[in-house]
Amino acid sequence: MTPLKRYFINKALWYCLTLLIAVMLNFFLPRMIKGNPVEAMMAELNTGMMDSDSKKKLYETFNKEFGLDKPLITQFFIYTGNLLHGDLGTSFGMYPKKVERIIAGAIPWTIALQLPAILLGWLLGNALGAIVAYRKGILDKVFFPVSLFIHSIPFFALSIILLYLLAVELSWFPVGGGYAYELIPSLNFRFISSVIYHYWLPFLSIFIVLIGGQAIGMRSMAIYELKEDYVLYSKLMGVKDRKIISYVFKNGMLPQITGLSLSIGVMVAGALITEIVFNYPGIGSLLFKAIRQLDYPLISGCTLLITCSVIAANFCIDMLYGLLDPRIKAAQLEEAS
Amino acid sequence: MKIILILLKSPKFLTGIVILSIIFAITFLTPLVNDNSPTEMVTCSFQAPDSKHILGSDNFGRDVMIQLALGTQTSLYVGIIAGMVATLIGLFIGLYSGYLGGLIDNILTMLTNLFIVIPPFIILILISVSVDSRSSTLTALIIGFTSWPWTARAVRAQTSSLRNRDHINIAKLSGAGTFRIIIFEILPYIASYAVMAFILQTASGILAEAAISMLGLGPYNTISLGIMLNWAIVFEAPAAGAWWAFIPTAMIISAITFSLFYINSGMDEIFNPKIRS
Amino acid sequence: MLLDVKKLKTYYKLRDNTKIHAVDNISFQLSRGEILGIAGESGCGKSTLALSLMFYYFPPLFFDSGEIFINNQKIVFSKRGEIQKNILGNKIAYIPQAAMNALNPTQKVKNFILDIFKEHKPHIKKKEVLQFAASRFSELNLPERVLNSYPNELSGGMRQRTIIGISTILDPDILIADEPTSALDVTSQKKVVKMLKSLLDKNFVKGIIFITHELTLLANITHNIMVMYAGQIMEYGKTNDVIFHGIHPYTKALMGSIIVAEKEMKKRQLTFLPGAPPDLKNEIKGCRFAERCSFVKNECRFNQIEEKIHTSHMYRCLRPLTDLKD
Repeated sequence: MTPLKRYFINKALWYCLTLLIAVMLNFFLPRMIKGNPVEAMMAELNTGMMDSDSKKKLYETFNKEFGLDKPLITQFFIYTGNLLHGDLGTSFGMYPKKVERIIAGAIPWTIALQLPAILLGWLLGNALGAIVAYRKGILDKVFFPVSLFIHSIPFFALSIILLYLLAVELSWFPVGGGYAYELIPSLNFRFISSVIYHYWLPFLSIFIVLIGGQAIGMRSMAIYELKEDYVLYSKLMGVKDRKIISYVFKNGMLPQITGLSLSIGVMVAGALITEIVFNYPGIGSLLFKAIRQLDYPLISGCTLLITCSVIAANFCIDMLYGLLDPRIKAAQLEEAS
Repeated sequence: MKIILILLKSPKFLTGIVILSIIFAITFLTPLVNDNSPTEMVTCSFQAPDSKHILGSDNFGRDVMIQLALGTQTSLYVGIIAGMVATLIGLFIGLYSGYLGGLIDNILTMLTNLFIVIPPFIILILISVSVDSRSSTLTALIIGFTSWPWTARAVRAQTSSLRNRDHINIAKLSGAGTFRIIIFEILPYIASYAVMAFILQTASGILAEAAISMLGLGPYNTISLGIMLNWAIVFEAPAAGAWWAFIPTAMIISAITFSLFYINSGMDEIFNPKIRS
Repeated sequence: MLLDVKKLKTYYKLRDNTKIHAVDNISFQLSRGEILGIAGESGCGKSTLALSLMFYYFPPLFFDSGEIFINNQKIVFSKRGEIQKNILGNKIAYIPQAAMNALNPTQKVKNFILDIFKEHKPHIKKKEVLQFAASRFSELNLPERVLNSYPNELSGGMRQRTIIGISTILDPDILIADEPTSALDVTSQKKVVKMLKSLLDKNFVKGIIFITHELTLLANITHNIMVMYAGQIMEYGKTNDVIFHGIHPYTKALMGSIIVAEKEMKKRQLTFLPGAPPDLKNEIKGCRFAERCSFVKNECRFNQIEEKIHTSHMYRCLRPLTDLKD
């Protein structure tokens, strides 16, 4: 088996383990702290909204669904069993809608927003960082504090500021939502253009903060790489500057990819909060609403989904890294010996 | 002492310290001159800034300036406590894992990687949602307990490269125990690194607090910067055009994290031999 | 004349704009088939001289004055592109110090060679380049697998010899080897020396400049030696003359400070050279070696020290020959 294959299989096994632990955490953590969260939340919902008959019915439904009268381990197996069928439970706040259907409605919005914003922001940020490092001079002196400041602004802060400046004050963009609220989702031009119009601000918030952060990281990497001996040697062998930049970029990118896998969790969290600020109909707003309503199944469903996505993303990035870095093969040989 | 003098010569470090000091001054001096209560209605809602209330009022008609000052205090508190907890855990795990190697290293590394891949933020949500009453300290502890992996990883990398140095071997030969070696032989070498890690962890602690409070899962019955942002969203301050209710808040969070990052960057330029130009 | 360097002056510019004349008025020549050794302690300017000869004038290194002729043709520094395409690697090649790190860790050796050819000889097809590289490497006793490897798959000594192979692949006229053996074990050192000699024998290069602070190597491989100190040439002559009959006080101290198992050395005592080279930031009047010289006289500190020639053996000292013979 080639070292590369071994690398893949090792990683795949490890990620499956992580997934398992994530699911377990998602289930056990709240229960260990609060005991029976379903009961507790039911008690909190006890605000006289419903008559005692309906309350009893609600309680029975949940009892059956979650197996509350059974031991914790059994509950867990019921839970995972349901999971494998794609059943994430029934929402409290939007009873009797099923959680997985609610989430399914929000996922496309989130993916449409976050995937391009994160990918583009990351790529452009890194390119910018490499260029600035190579050019040096005034650009660098101005660039660094500015992008550091942008990087320090948390996603949500920038979102709120952009929301206020560009939407409320200047009215360049709509104040929120995924589309004009009087429209019904359909595949006509009016709807789609409304969507795009509403898309820009949240996209920009994520995009700008990401560029700032990546550019800084890449700049440091590039500065470090430019000092390496092979840059000097390549220059002295007459290799063109452009070619040398491509060497430096490729070598500097590798740690950046690792950095991406480390910070993708943070990026996703930040992007979700951006959604909340803009009242964008994605998973972020869903989670926010669920927390406010103490809709436990929905919260649990969202967190599970987010966790699994981040784990999946990490896995893909690790695979990509393994393909790109020839030193992985050497490391594998080292580990094996 | 000499080190601090050297650091003060670095423009980045100095700038960061200055900004931070200004913020501290505003935070702690304001309550002395402003005797409004942050939770009492003192004027109409969403009143623009005027001479009586420098930052106007929020949706409930409460003075924003005093909220900002007290909120910053809470956020700083949470950030620092979270930073300390995270740094200590990270140091501990990183040092042992990097020094001992072998099976313990593998186990601890797996643990660390686990907590990096499973978003700490999610764990934060899960725990905060279930806990009955959250104080600032508890929030700080939870943040600290979920954000240590980054430091652990970095410390481990440093420690394992130090592991084979001669002075460590000499200490081993003279019969020093693991704990002694770690504290007296390794820690001094990574001390500067540990301080930088602490600064970064504090910065991320403040950001985490802001994020979790904004979601509505922050400390109960306290004011923090994140909670102020939460109010702004829930009570639609942006739509009402009441910029004073959230823009200063967002700016202060940014300024604090910016100055912490800048301080860290200044220290990095001095202590990290690889990027010294 | 393969290489003719006339009064070369180059300097480093520091942040506060002070100039350090690391290469101060250096003149020498290299003929076909010659191996010239450049000796001196660390910091005397040997590597700076090498970079200067390679026209590597990037900040903080700047060209001041002087002329360089390769094959009797004067090289003009202003045309950066020209130099990149026609001189570097083509006419004059450089083997860096600690060559082990000089290869891009994420690039296979053969791909780097392809890049070099693309720059200098773009008309040669990829397949031919690879064939040529394979045959050249085997002629230099490098195993074929090297071409397909990444740098970290090769041992230190192998990497050094690979670099030598790459540096000379375009058959440069002049090869500058900057401390090619300093980080290697003795066996690898021998292989490197053998390789350099065979490069000359097979006419892949026409002249070698060998920079080292290891004097034992100098005795074995070079034809002429140039002794540098603080940016200037202190002595320049045939190898045997310089090593066994050195004139300049510095040369004598240098040669006397090593233990060599040669017949002539048995009777000598080891000399000890106190002090350190001068700080070149300050303008130095007179002889740069004055502070550490055991033959020093008052005039040494103030007058301009001229070069003196004694039967094709040059030395830079105020004292007459008779004073300096021991």
